[in-house]
Amino acid sequence: MLEILPQLLVNALITGSIYALASSGLALTYGVLRILNFAHGHVMMVGAYTFFFFTVERSLPIAESSILASLAIAVLGVLVLAVFILPFSRGNSLLPLVTTIALGSILEALVSMWFGVSVRSLPLPGAGDSLEFAGVFITPLQVGIILSALVIFAVLGFVVHSSPLGRSVRALAEHPQAAQGLGVSRTKVLLGVFTTSMLLAAYAGVLVGYETNLQPTMGGSYSLKAFAAMILGGLGNMWGTIVGALILGLLENLSIGLDFGGYSLPAGYKDAFAYVIILCALLFRPQGLFGTGERRA
Amino acid sequence: MLSISGLEVSFQGSPVLNGLSLSVVAGETVGIIGPNGSGKTTLFNCISGFVTQRGGTIALRGEEIQDLQPNARALRGLGRVFQNFGVFRNMTVLENLLLALESRSDQMLSILPWSSGRAQQKEQALALLREVRLEEKASLKASSLSGGQMRLLEIIRTVAAGAEVFLLDEPTAGVSPRMKDDVTGIIRRLQELGKTVMIIEHDITFIERFCTRIVVVNEGRIVLDGTPEQVRSDEQLKEIYFGRA
Amino acid sequence: MSDISGIIFSEYTIHLAILVGLYAILAQSLNLTFGLGQLFNLAHVASYAIGAYTTALLSTEAQWQFVPCVAASILLSGAFSVFLGTIALRLTNDYFAIGTLAFGAVVSSLLINWRSVTHGVLGIPGIPRPEILGLDMYQNSNFLALLLVFVVAVQALYFAISRGPFGRSLRALAEYDQAAAALGINTRLVRNVAFLLSSAAAGLAGSFFAYYLNYIDPTSFAFGEMIFLMTIVVVGRPGSFFGVLLSTAFLVLLPEPLRFLNLDSATLGPMRQLLYSLILFAVVWWKRRSIFPEQREV
Repeated sequence: MLEILPQLLVNALITGSIYALASSGLALTYGVLRILNFAHGHVMMVGAYTFFFFTVERSLPIAESSILASLAIAVLGVLVLAVFILPFSRGNSLLPLVTTIALGSILEALVSMWFGVSVRSLPLPGAGDSLEFAGVFITPLQVGIILSALVIFAVLGFVVHSSPLGRSVRALAEHPQAAQGLGVSRTKVLLGVFTTSMLLAAYAGVLVGYETNLQPTMGGSYSLKAFAAMILGGLGNMWGTIVGALILGLLENLSIGLDFGGYSLPAGYKDAFAYVIILCALLFRPQGLFGTGERRA
Repeated sequence: MLSISGLEVSFQGSPVLNGLSLSVVAGETVGIIGPNGSGKTTLFNCISGFVTQRGGTIALRGEEIQDLQPNARALRGLGRVFQNFGVFRNMTVLENLLLALESRSDQMLSILPWSSGRAQQKEQALALLREVRLEEKASLKASSLSGGQMRLLEIIRTVAAGAEVFLLDEPTAGVSPRMKDDVTGIIRRLQELGKTVMIIEHDITFIERFCTRIVVVNEGRIVLDGTPEQVRSDEQLKEIYFGRA
Repeated sequence: MSDISGIIFSEYTIHLAILVGLYAILAQSLNLTFGLGQLFNLAHVASYAIGAYTTALLSTEAQWQFVPCVAASILLSGAFSVFLGTIALRLTNDYFAIGTLAFGAVVSSLLINWRSVTHGVLGIPGIPRPEILGLDMYQNSNFLALLLVFVVAVQALYFAISRGPFGRSLRALAEYDQAAAALGINTRLVRNVAFLLSSAAAGLAGSFFAYYLNYIDPTSFAFGEMIFLMTIVVVGRPGSFFGVLLSTAFLVLLPEPLRFLNLDSATLGPMRQLLYSLILFAVVWWKRRSIFPEQREV
């Protein structure tokens, strides 16, 4: 059993990277808006399908497709923020949860009608060939996933911690009134944070499309996985969420890879780990591993 | 009647109540004053059972209640009127009272809308409403009442629930000056009925009308305890509110 | 004259009536927790599924009769809600929603993956119609009559609940939990009982669903179904008995004209989903100030 452990760990890193990219945006949004966006996973799905539309259906080169898809997602992000989130951000926190649930369902229905419900995938010739390092198999695509995640988080980290923009974001997250009193424009920061969050989600969706496949119904489970990562790592805590995402990736891969005295968990249960994590976290440590305990579940 | 000893409460590490002790005799009316943040509402929340204490005891008629659930304390005669209005606005005035009467007679799980005691309860409820001149409003939604009327409703509802000890948290907040007399009236009625009343207030002239004893809370403990005249003239009080000269 | 009666009593109308009846039970039971109690239970469909699968399995593999099957469905769904309640009822507001969402997702996962029990995505076929007093329940008009007995009973029960002391306690604690407790109401118990009543009825609906379709699989219990139920309650106004009853009929019947547009079946489903999702959002937007009142606390 121990022989496959290095492979499982590498797989965990790959899955974890995708989840980290998917959920870091959610954490950023929660930090400034205090809203759980249930449609986050659905935006991942839409991002992937948009990219699919440009690369596969319109056969455009990757660079062009990326730019067009990013623009489309950015526009979608502004729309979502203005219509589905901001009007409901004051008052009972159940409101934005319901509207984002509705949004997710709307996106899923639209994509199903346009692209059909059958499984699609994004092809990447050659990048799917396995390479071998020290007994571990990995594809160039998977290496790309891990490296791009590292680069993106390094950039994000730099922006959030060392730039004036990052300071504005952190100030607004911690104390909205004080920040606005100092001249921070809430609208601009929200727009910026939310668009970044959407783009990160879309990118993660594209990676899922390359690494596995796409279905319009995948949004819901990815939303829950992002929630799990964030609840585990601490609400609104970006780095905590990234760690949470990696832990989730680890748990999923270990669960199906290892066998416990002859019994191995059917692969279909992989997704259920996220759900169980959510429940355990909410019950035993609602502020997450790294949270400051400011919010009681 | 109510005996509090060495109550200690802290929120996120910082202490709010520091070994507070207080004894209230049956039928007494005690006013509780103190600067903002001194722990007055926390004291009430602790007695009611919404906040757990780190240490100390609370005894009602000699029985220790500090480990009981809030509803268990209520059933033993502890009543509470909330600063932010505990009246249920989405129900009618009558329903607010029926709720109190039903919980007292152990009917809150009753699924059926009719029962043997129902007509009686309605009569009881209307009689209580008459006491505060809200009888005509019985079938109106509680949200249509003014602040003062809501206060009266909340207090009379607490009577309906069978309370013997009344914790009134800023009963004149949100009440027009005209209605303050009505609130005074109902509190005097509580005194006539022999109830034990504790009132948190900022308006000293208001509570002087019926309190024979005033307690000053500062930084989580009681610093003064005496008659209104004693408290008014005390040098410490001025320091507490206005700082040292 | 016979033309009109032909339309009224056609198989299609009877089918629609059966659907409305089933959803009337589901929606009204959700209305108790979601509407009256402001308990955002997103695992309601899980109770529905448990009821359906219980009846399906007991009637096909153990050959149980109608009454024991329905009773078992109600009991198991009820037991599920007690389990869910002890875990989820400690959580507040949106965390309760997420918690029940996760719970529902676990149940969904079990339906698909616990193949030895649920047969996974293959589902359970061959569920026989109930045998009642020698009547042929395969005649849908007879089945409808049987269902209506239960629908009326459940609606009457819920009407009584909402108007009685229990309903009052529930509404009180939904608005200001601590004020309700300060009046002597055991808020935890009231919530648990509301949960139980709601879940048991959903189990009943599930049982009848299994009997009607004669075949069930996990797709009927996906999250989309939960969103549909939520839409019915939101549109009918959460907590309103008659409102939810009317919106049930409205939303079940509304997408039916789409059937006549000759769309292929793959588009029909998503189109219906789009329709009710848009309606959900529209109503929430329109009623945003009043629909989920802020719950007060000390």
